[in-house]
Amino acid sequence: MSETTTAAELLPVGSDDYSRAALFLYREAQLLDDARFEDWLETLHDELVYEMPVRQSVMPKDGTGFVDGMTFLTETRNSLLTRVRRLQTEQAWAEQPGSRTRHLVANVLVERGAAEGELNVTSAFLVTRTRADLPYDFFSGERRDVLARDGERLLLKRRQILFDQTVMKSYNLSIFL
Amino acid sequence: MAVNPAGLLDLSLADGVELTQLIDEPGAHISRRIYGNDEIFELEQDRIFRRAWNFLGHVSELPNPGDYVTRDLAGEPVVLIRGDDGEIRAFLNSCRHRGMRVCRADRDNVSYMRCVYHGWSYSRSGDLVTAFAEELYDPGRLRKEELGLIPVTQVAIYRGVIFGTWDAEAPPLEEYLGDMRFYLDLFLGRTDGGTEVVGAPQVWDVSTDWKFCADNFTGDNFHLYTAHGSVVDLGMLPPDPMSLSYGYLVRAQGGHVLHLVPGPPDPSFEYFGLPRDLVPQFERNLDSVQLGLLKDHAWSVGTVFPNLSFMQVMVQGDIGGPNVTFLSLRAWMPTSATTTRVFSYLLLDRDAPEQFRRDSYEAYVRTFGPSGIFEQDDMENWEDCTRVNKGKIAQRHGLHHGMGLHLEPDPSFPGPGQAWPGSYGERTQLSFYGEWLKWMTHERPWAS
Ligand code: FES
Ligand SMILES: [Fe+2]
Repeated sequence: MSETTTAAELLPVGSDDYSRAALFLYREAQLLDDARFEDWLETLHDELVYEMPVRQSVMPKDGTGFVDGMTFLTETRNSLLTRVRRLQTEQAWAEQPGSRTRHLVANVLVERGAAEGELNVTSAFLVTRTRADLPYDFFSGERRDVLARDGERLLLKRRQILFDQTVMKSYNLSIFL
Repeated sequence: MAVNPAGLLDLSLADGVELTQLIDEPGAHISRRIYGNDEIFELEQDRIFRRAWNFLGHVSELPNPGDYVTRDLAGEPVVLIRGDDGEIRAFLNSCRHRGMRVCRADRDNVSYMRCVYHGWSYSRSGDLVTAFAEELYDPGRLRKEELGLIPVTQVAIYRGVIFGTWDAEAPPLEEYLGDMRFYLDLFLGRTDGGTEVVGAPQVWDVSTDWKFCADNFTGDNFHLYTAHGSVVDLGMLPPDPMSLSYGYLVRAQGGHVLHLVPGPPDPSFEYFGLPRDLVPQFERNLDSVQLGLLKDHAWSVGTVFPNLSFMQVMVQGDIGGPNVTFLSLRAWMPTSATTTRVFSYLLLDRDAPEQFRRDSYEAYVRTFGPSGIFEQDDMENWEDCTRVNKGKIAQRHGLHHGMGLHLEPDPSFPGPGQAWPGSYGERTQLSFYGEWLKWMTHERPWAS
């Protein structure tokens, strides 16, 4: 979805594709919160591009501050598979004991994508993470996703995570956003 | 600072314990009291960070006149700005009128540094150019030539890396780095164009005493097989826990330290796995000893005292992916006794080929930084160490740093400094803490 998307191009709430996209995000949130990472991997497209750019605090004339060429995450399906396999070892200490997360997804907007069967979906997220007896960590931002149709299902083909923080106020990012 | 006649600073802590009791370098014991302690933190700010040469940035972050970046130096805000003459200067980022922060973005390009409170404007070289309503001052009252931004006392650049110190008596940067320059050149001075920062640093806040980060990056190679056991299980490190134990632990002058670890006998691990197209440049820019060390090693991690670390390591970013090297700089900025702001940079040789740039970037982001499949587990250790070592019962017992102390330095090692054989050991950590004690107790730490 771009800045030039008009209200008329947004799919109505409750329309078939809107509902499918929203359902995809809600189910994904549940899979992640339930640590069903194998099932989550099944929702990822083989050509997935998944990025979370680093952000800086800049003056409005310089835009939103997202840094060209540096990220907190630059992932493919295989690198996310690697992360899931890591969690399945018995030595992934940052997640053993594990984080307890709550992925809250809101403001879902959907438009038709560039290719046949693709949907561009933006949403706002707030992810809370608590672990052991540590205070809450909050991760918030916008996701810009491309969902691609694969038969009856949708798959995540692209995700850009536009994080709200410039200095990450969390000691690590051992969870999925 | 109180100074006693022997050139030592006041050694007593509030409860009467002396600083010298906290570090026993020959006995390889470190007191837990040095971590997470407010009194120690204040002394460190005073005796280490306000005196040492600290990392400030990299010249490639400021390509054009008027570019600035804002940073911290010993806990106070500073701004680095490139002037019209091309010089990079650094100033306390504080207006001379009421002290307002003058440059408020992380980066910008400005014609003037204009304070948003009452409009005092400073040139790109820090001079006060205009104040507000100057005609309302008595003639001679507003001496603008004396009201420029307060410069960082000394600023110097080594191989593109910008350092600053608040101490007028600190020796020149090159002297401070001493023979560590020989090793830094393997990473920063090996190619014609030098290195550049990719994008901007990743920055995140960790609830740790900064010393655990520096300690780890002095060349703690033996934490790999437990702290990073997950990566071993994934088959991304060789299964034998001793397979990375070879190489050297090196102590250069000034307590700057590193390890050098050879790869397996496979030409792809030579030259740290750097692109072969660059080898002619290595040959041009390095002497034969440096070139030999570069060729024979694949991993190096080290720390320039006090808190600038570097790593040039080959890693696999994902299962089945290639082993790719990356060069990262780390500044561990203490923000309190128990919190540290981490700045992590990826550097690339300007002349590196395009495909390598992409591969190196992916390998770095996937393995290090807050999300890295290696580094997420490091923070786990540093935060817990910081919390637990604050305990009064815990503090009755010291920490053991004794690995490999029976080994003598290898006289045949060709580089400067002392080099102990084998990269598993605690010589470099002890060197770091020995240096820490020197700075915490000596009036002139760089001279003793
Ligand atoms: S504080 Fe800067 S002009 Fe007043
Ligand atoms: Fe580590």
